Amino acid sequence: MSATGIGGRVSQFGSAVAEGWTRERFGLIGAVALVLITFGPPFQVYLFTDFLVVALFALGFNLLYGYTGLLSFGHGLFYAGGAYGIAIVLRDLGPIIADIVGAGISPLVTFVVGGVVGLVLVVVVAVPVGWLSVRLEEIYFALITLAFGMLGYSLIIQDPAGLTNGTDGVIVLLGTVDLGGTSIRIGGRRLYYVISAVTVVAATYGVWRVVNSPFGTVCKAIRESPDRAGALGINVRHHRWMTFIISAAIVGIAGVLRAGLASVASPGLTHWSTSAIAVIATVIGGATYFYGPIVGAFIFLYIRWAISRFPTLEAYWELFFGVLLIAVVLFFKQGAVGGLYLLRDRLFGEGDIGGANGGGGGAFDAGSQVTTPPDEEAKSSNGDVRTDRGDNS
Amino acid sequence: MIGIADVVIGLSLGSRLFLIAVGLSLIFGVLGVLNFAHGGFYMLGAYVTLAVISNVIDNFWIAAVVGALAVGVVGAAIEFSAIRRLYDRVDSDLDQLIVTFGFVLVIHETVRFIWGSGSYSIDPPDVFNFSVSLGGSTFNAYRLVAIGLAVAVLVGLWLFITRTYFGSLVRGTSSDREMAAMLGVDVPRLYTGVFFLGSVLAGLGGALSAPLQATSPALGDQVIITAFIVVVIGGFGSISGAFVGAMLIGMMQSLGPQFISSGSIAIPFLAMVIVLLLRPEGLFGGIGE
Repeated sequence: MSATGIGGRVSQFGSAVAEGWTRERFGLIGAVALVLITFGPPFQVYLFTDFLVVALFALGFNLLYGYTGLLSFGHGLFYAGGAYGIAIVLRDLGPIIADIVGAGISPLVTFVVGGVVGLVLVVVVAVPVGWLSVRLEEIYFALITLAFGMLGYSLIIQDPAGLTNGTDGVIVLLGTVDLGGTSIRIGGRRLYYVISAVTVVAATYGVWRVVNSPFGTVCKAIRESPDRAGALGINVRHHRWMTFIISAAIVGIAGVLRAGLASVASPGLTHWSTSAIAVIATVIGGATYFYGPIVGAFIFLYIRWAISRFPTLEAYWELFFGVLLIAVVLFFKQGAVGGLYLLRDRLFGEGDIGGANGGGGGAFDAGSQVTTPPDEEAKSSNGDVRTDRGDNS
Repeated sequence: MIGIADVVIGLSLGSRLFLIAVGLSLIFGVLGVLNFAHGGFYMLGAYVTLAVISNVIDNFWIAAVVGALAVGVVGAAIEFSAIRRLYDRVDSDLDQLIVTFGFVLVIHETVRFIWGSGSYSIDPPDVFNFSVSLGGSTFNAYRLVAIGLAVAVLVGLWLFITRTYFGSLVRGTSSDREMAAMLGVDVPRLYTGVFFLGSVLAGLGGALSAPLQATSPALGDQVIITAFIVVVIGGFGSISGAFVGAMLIGMMQSLGPQFISSGSIAIPFLAMVIVLLLRPEGLFGGIGE
């Protein structure tokens, strides 16, 4: 049964790929690209890993912003939580783990244990912080998350518990796995890229499943109108709290990967300017789309890289993103992904939208689904078209 | 041991915070916009003042007024060209926050482009550039001037809001924008006016504290977060609240390290969290208070 099931699925997948620009074809191309990048020049491998980590960071952030309408300016706290979790485990528990499992594979075991500890730490922090934060909305939510983030920043800098090594941060040494003759460096660029890519793809798939679950549907209902969702019997605050925790956990995973990539867990990760990176990437990419933060992170990293090629401009890359951010919010709230959909519609015609598998759905199809909250006046929502996220339902 | 100098330094830190926070609070109270770029305005005020002193006229007071007005013009231009487009959106609050954050980056980079990344400092104006010894501790007399000017701004602004015709328009529009518009208030113009006023105050804060601190492009980013704390503690829209909050935080920054050896910089953020949770409207009520 399972064999024919798998075979059937493979052939179904194949025909879906052959059919046109479907989700499956994009998926296949993406997978091939991910594999090919492993063999690229070292710097490009590093840059792409950096992109994947920032993409996951922004994706986790957008689970909260895009799906429940809560803008956090403090997600750096969870980014740092993951990073410090693994860094402290590597520093303090490395020798103990080596005693238990043997020196050969201990770096790998320590890395995995550190990642799990980082994730658990983030969830432990996110549960109370989220519970308190979701009591507030809109600007007040942005301010309280900012305050929590900076609170964490202050504590990491001043280090009252003697764990975080103050402003210097904690050095991350991933070590070398020794398997009777062959030794593999975990921190090596290509291997670390593979680890990151697998983790990010798995986490992204997890987020995608959450978003398209009944839970995700409820989140979207809350985003469209918290009052109406509440009237339908949904516990809005509880849902926001759960989303906050999941969002923080995803960001925590990104933080774990960041620590290994940067070889240090530094206090700057908690600072609000780091939290702002997720905001910039998400808004530029298009917060109303699932893939918006990923595309936004790609733009953020690669435009920054492109700017850095010109020495005179290099110092001023923030200016570019400031202008871009203002322009996107003012004139094109759908962001880059919305722009891509618009481009596709122009190129392939309206008839192609909503084709097989509902592949993404037209950017503006769902404009008709705009729901105006009952307590809001029918204001002209200038450039504020609520769009469908291309869900597969 | 707390010396008088520590208190004076705390109050002068509070004075500069007040000038930023009161504009931020006024703009939020009337327009409903949380202006992330307000710290940038403060920094810009300091830079323009420095530039005027070194290039145009060697008079601190004229330079400070020019700096404050220049920032006011920049602020009004930003309101007029960008923020105005967002008032009618359904979820305008967050969009405004993000757009003003965009301006944080733009102002920061523009200042760096013009004046470079280094830090500048100037001496206080000659008249006040002497040391005062009081109760065994010494401080610069200009700090007292900065405190006096902050008190003057507090009183002036309070009279302006509560006693003048324009002030009554501001209060009316802040409590009910639609009603004010129906009664013939030119709301868009009033908004630009209030944004101008708030920006002038931030610029003035930057100009007046230029002799007390090193001016660098990072100044705005540091100060805006503290200003947020002040506005939250004092209450959005409250002028007297901004004053009390600013002085409280200023004293905390000056005296805190003497009482708590580690974790002292975390206390203002903890206070912000607690106030947001227990009294989100702040410790002091709305506009005109």
